[in-house]
Amino acid sequence: MINLLSIAKLPLDSWVTDGVNWLTKNLSGLFNAIQTGGSNTMDAVTNFLTAIPMPIFIITLALISWLLTPKKYGQPIFILLGLALIANQGLWSDLMQTLTLVLVASVISLVIGIPLGIWSSKSPKAYAVIKPILDFMQTMPAFVYLIPAVAFFGIGVVPGAFASIIFALPPVVNFTYLGLQQVPTSLVEAADSFGATTWQKLFKLELPNAKNTIIAGSKQTIMLALSMVVTASMIGAPGLGRGVLSAVQHADVGAGFVSGIALVILAIIVDRFVQRLNTEPVSAPKLPKWRKLTTWAMLAILLISGVVGSITATQSSGKKVTLGYVEWDSEVASTNVLAEAMRQHGYNVTITPLDNAVNWQSVANKQVDGTVSAWLPNTHKDLYAKYKNDVDLLGPNLKGVKLGFVVPDYMDVNSIADLTNQANKTITGIEPGAGEMKLAANTLKAYPNLSGWNLQESSSGAMTTALDKAYKAKQPIIVTGWSPHWMFNKYKLKYLADPKGTMGGQESINTVVRKNLKQTSPDVYKVMKKFHWTQSDMQTVMLDIQNGKTPTKAADDWISSHKSQVNAWFK
Amino acid sequence: MPKVQIKHLTKIFGKRQKAALKMVKENKSKNEIFEKTGSTVGVYDINLEVNEGEIFVIMGLSGSGKSTLIRLLNRLIEPTSGEIILDGKNITHYNKKEMLDIRRQKMSMVFQNFALFPHRTILENTEFGLEIQGVPAAERRQRAEKALENSQLLSFKDQYPSQLSGGMQQRVGLSRALTNDPDILLMDEAFSALDPLVRHEMQDELLDLQANVKKTIIFITHDLNEALRLGDRIAIMKDGQLQQIGTGEEILTNPANGYVENFVEDVDRSKVLNAETIMIPGFTINADTDGPNVALHRMSEEEVSGLVAVDANRKFAGYITSDAAVAARREKKNLRDVLTEMPTVTPDTLVADIMPIIYDAHTPVAVVDENQKLHGIIIRGAVIEALAQTEGDNND
Repeated sequence: MINLLSIAKLPLDSWVTDGVNWLTKNLSGLFNAIQTGGSNTMDAVTNFLTAIPMPIFIITLALISWLLTPKKYGQPIFILLGLALIANQGLWSDLMQTLTLVLVASVISLVIGIPLGIWSSKSPKAYAVIKPILDFMQTMPAFVYLIPAVAFFGIGVVPGAFASIIFALPPVVNFTYLGLQQVPTSLVEAADSFGATTWQKLFKLELPNAKNTIIAGSKQTIMLALSMVVTASMIGAPGLGRGVLSAVQHADVGAGFVSGIALVILAIIVDRFVQRLNTEPVSAPKLPKWRKLTTWAMLAILLISGVVGSITATQSSGKKVTLGYVEWDSEVASTNVLAEAMRQHGYNVTITPLDNAVNWQSVANKQVDGTVSAWLPNTHKDLYAKYKNDVDLLGPNLKGVKLGFVVPDYMDVNSIADLTNQANKTITGIEPGAGEMKLAANTLKAYPNLSGWNLQESSSGAMTTALDKAYKAKQPIIVTGWSPHWMFNKYKLKYLADPKGTMGGQESINTVVRKNLKQTSPDVYKVMKKFHWTQSDMQTVMLDIQNGKTPTKAADDWISSHKSQVNAWFK
Repeated sequence: MPKVQIKHLTKIFGKRQKAALKMVKENKSKNEIFEKTGSTVGVYDINLEVNEGEIFVIMGLSGSGKSTLIRLLNRLIEPTSGEIILDGKNITHYNKKEMLDIRRQKMSMVFQNFALFPHRTILENTEFGLEIQGVPAAERRQRAEKALENSQLLSFKDQYPSQLSGGMQQRVGLSRALTNDPDILLMDEAFSALDPLVRHEMQDELLDLQANVKKTIIFITHDLNEALRLGDRIAIMKDGQLQQIGTGEEILTNPANGYVENFVEDVDRSKVLNAETIMIPGFTINADTDGPNVALHRMSEEEVSGLVAVDANRKFAGYITSDAAVAARREKKNLRDVLTEMPTVTPDTLVADIMPIIYDAHTPVAVVDENQKLHGIIIRGAVIEALAQTEGDNND
């Protein structure tokens, strides 16, 4: 009997890490080329789609749908109303970005997947290798693909597409294989008996026969690519997914629902159009000629308007700046204020919401120009230690930050050391990647009275929702809190004293930029260096957002009432 | 020179072929070989010649290797050993490209389940063979349409196979094979999936066609009647081995061995011949519910001049002739009133005893049991054939 437990733990994780690092280092040229080429391609597609005037887009699409399905009015009307609703909610450009991601990921998946499926069906050896890999790809949680995607391609739309492709590839391969396997042997024999070559057999018999199965697989692939949109937005893929993700992090039911319903509408439309390809030859309705011609004409209108629109589109001028941030209420406020201020001074600013660790990594890899969301010295201590050689720390933009365990003031506990068994021995936390969660975990270890307590991971939005619920019911709750935060304006709360100081003392929020920003864009560097404001400033903007203003609107309002302070950043 | 020659052709499926071959030589049965070695003997040591322009029928029960044999001829299945000689050229070792040419120019195949391509129209199916040879569209269309016209299917050319009946589909399969204008037609149980009437029709058509085009046809069937109707020569197979080759007459008169003997006769002589063994299902009519019009309609439909009348409980009632039915229609009578007498026997009546009865009767003889339930009828020819065979036995 070998005692399995006596074998030392295999360092599997470090093997994988080393492998990915090796790939990143040795294939960086290739990855960068893919990243650049991919971004440019996808930007071009997005620009093209966005350039099509929205009404023309909606009406021609509805018309095409009606032309292809005579006597059926449900689908065109659905397209008309659904897309109009999306446009009305101001999600049109998000929709186009999502459509780009789905189109590119699906097309690449199909271009890779169908040949793989054919190869599998022709060669049992190939299938024996491909099948387990497919199973692995299909069952591995999609989030896992984001990690190497960021390592290889940084942030943005390309890693999103990469993760979507890996995630969406298996069904089309499997279904292609299945469809080709299911072609009756007698038909294959017949084709052979007439002296068909392998290729003739494939194109004249097998693929046409397996067509509907392959289309069913393609449909699944497209749907999976669509479902990855939300996941991919965690690493900076733009589009509707961002709205869903941000709504989750802010526990904003309404906004989440709106972005979600937009995705549903898109999914249904795509599904119906793909379904249209899936026909039986016998029952296929013969479309009258004028319908076919008009359909082509409509497609031509779409193309031409896209091309014309792209050419005449006002190229956004000004220096390009990209800022990374994390979807915490404080950072949404500060990043939007800085971005709006820079836009008003003629910069072309893109802001990308990211997970905290990815945000640091992106600055270190020069994927973004900088971020104003670095909480130091304690909260992001580990990340700073990891990346301090690759980033340029410009100093605080907001002083007097505090972190700690926060409780409603109706609870009679005042210090972390006095906690016994309140609130089911649970600390309600935020995103697992946040620096504060690390501090909270250390705190649980440092205080003997907290042994057996657990730290609940969620999101900043879910934490405030839980706090709101408990507060209204006068129930005990302990959350990981921080200031500046609007919750202190909304509820009566107090920090628990921290005699051991494990939740950090006084903190500040700092600006961190990429290593070579000073050389490449000295003016951006100067603005980033000068950007600073106060707790009360931030709290004003946060409350505005919390009370329903959009982040950009709240930022604009604050800027217009603090003109001289803002202008000082640009001097 | 024969068109096709086959020498020592053997096909073993599976891995341990040497062991299987050894056991075949020891005359072990197919099942035994499979259990011991895991290999299946498809065909073993086949030698035969097919002459130009003859219909050569290969018959045998299912599992006798006949379908394997026909697929060895155009090498859809690769032979284990032996030679296939076509027009004096050994094609056993032809490479892929050469084999493609043989299949495109010289041999075409017709399948039991038609094997039409469901996503192609009838015309596209018919021109398939020419299409893959790269024949220009106009020419192949013209040739395919001509083939369809010959089988009266031209008006269906834009339909899909699933919209056609079985018989029509098989005509398309045949047209598809003939469009290539091959020397040899391989037909693998081509008519077995059709109902008996259509089958009969197709057999006639094939014979008509053969009278015109004079192809070499290798035809596979498990039906002795079909083999006797179509075959210039017949080969009988069992467990992958040839038992006998000869004309229908030769096989009926001089069966090579016990297996063939049993195979070619519907009557098992170990039993004493009685009514049950030689009766055929009779065409019946219900005398209580059906009228003379229905009776006449059925007679013309079944191509007979009389029907056995039964009552609602399927009990035997009598015989109705066509004349009687016409009279009943004229005089507005029921069928019951115009029935004629019909001699009856029980299922276990011996043939020898039926002979005098049938000799005097103007109608077939009905076979009924003690409950007056009809089992079948006996016609003159069956009795005479049965008696002739028993006499033959006495001569052996």
